[in-house]
Amino acid sequence: MKPKRFPLFLGLMALIGLLSCGKEPVDEAGLLITGRTQCYMTFFDLLGSDHRTVLVSGQTVIDTTALTVTAVAKFGTNMERVKPYCSVVTDAIVEPTMGIWTDYTQAQKYTVVSGNRQVRKTYTVTVTVQK
Amino acid sequence: MKKIVYFVLPVLGTLLLNAGCQNKEVDPGTTFKNDLLKKTTGPAVVGDRIEFAYAIGTLEGDLKDVRAEASIAGGKGTGFSGFSWYTDRSTGVDKPVQTAADTVTNGAVSTASIIDVSKNKAVTLRYYYYPSEEGKGKDVSFLFIGTSSTGKEVAIQSPAYRISRMSMKRSLVLTDGAKAYVSLADMAVYSKAEVEQNNLASKIDFVYIYRPTLGSGNFAFGHALVAPSNADYLKDVSLPTGLPKTRTAIDKRVDVKDAQLRNTAGFDVYIDDVDLEQTTFPSAADYAYGLAADQGAFVKTADGAYAAYVYVNAVNNTTKSMTISIKQIKLK
Repeated sequence: MKPKRFPLFLGLMALIGLLSCGKEPVDEAGLLITGRTQCYMTFFDLLGSDHRTVLVSGQTVIDTTALTVTAVAKFGTNMERVKPYCSVVTDAIVEPTMGIWTDYTQAQKYTVVSGNRQVRKTYTVTVTVQK
Repeated sequence: MKKIVYFVLPVLGTLLLNAGCQNKEVDPGTTFKNDLLKKTTGPAVVGDRIEFAYAIGTLEGDLKDVRAEASIAGGKGTGFSGFSWYTDRSTGVDKPVQTAADTVTNGAVSTASIIDVSKNKAVTLRYYYYPSEEGKGKDVSFLFIGTSSTGKEVAIQSPAYRISRMSMKRSLVLTDGAKAYVSLADMAVYSKAEVEQNNLASKIDFVYIYRPTLGSGNFAFGHALVAPSNADYLKDVSLPTGLPKTRTAIDKRVDVKDAQLRNTAGFDVYIDDVDLEQTTFPSAADYAYGLAADQGAFVKTADGAYAAYVYVNAVNNTTKSMTISIKQIKLK
């Protein structure tokens, strides 16, 4: 490397360094906002007071077009106190937060928000109990 | 100069090394010592015991006797055990050796005399304390005193331990259609006839039933605790006359294996007063079904007077029965 080019190289490295220190965008919860636009739910589960799933295996259907989740809870489930969990596509978030005791005697609505926080899709979750 | 350094340094190093490796005399301090270890890790509950290991040793004379003074007199069974324990090296099993006799408890004071004093110059004795009903909710502490043949005494004071407010009852057998009515206030199980004859209907908090399947689809149901308010699961049960339809809150658990209720070694999970006092029951069911051994349920009476943890020790599908143990606390 020629002597004159060395300061130029150093300057370039400093510039790259400065740019890399720039703050990543985060939302109010401190979660990273990315460029992803995908927005859908991939998995849904419901736990009882004993922290075991109450859903009948193989009966949960997530319709990403109709934006619905339908599931069947086992006979005898106390639907007034269950805890929902779900998985979503990479970087997406769910509003309101799942994982809290919820009354599922009525259908519940959850909004999936994409990684770039620009796309919002509201799912209606309906769980029926075996009778 | 260099030659001197080469000569002096190894000599100095050897001297320092020798000085560092010299045996130091261990000062025994006193010739008569004692120490105390509380072996029980769980809460002090009436119906169970707390265990101490009291160690004494002497270099002068012989060990004579030991004394323990509890600040609150214990229940039946309180006192020294005459045995010390050692671990068999070949099997790893703890084995007892008798080292004391004349183990007597009078009120709050327990005593024991050391035997075979010529070989028992240092022993560790077990002291068991059974909390009594009078001690519930109070702090208890212990003063251990050892005496030697030379007339010397050593003493050690334990910290204060809180005796639980909980009541505990183990191994209550429930049978479907017979002994099926449980009262948390009484910590007892009754049959329909007993409830009616003794006018206990107002005390019944839940009913035990066993149905292998239930519902139009014959869904699995199993062993269940059901509050009188739940008409669905009790519709084929002939309930005692006058049984009020109280809604006992019942919250099933599968992972709370309380060591005292389980009553076997190897478990170290304990439900303490605070767990029952602070357990909340928002939207809790009035039943718990599909119960199996080692599972249980937090329960709160409809009037909020008692909270309890009902632990399932065993279930039997053939005899339609379930063995439970209960820890209960009075809330108001």
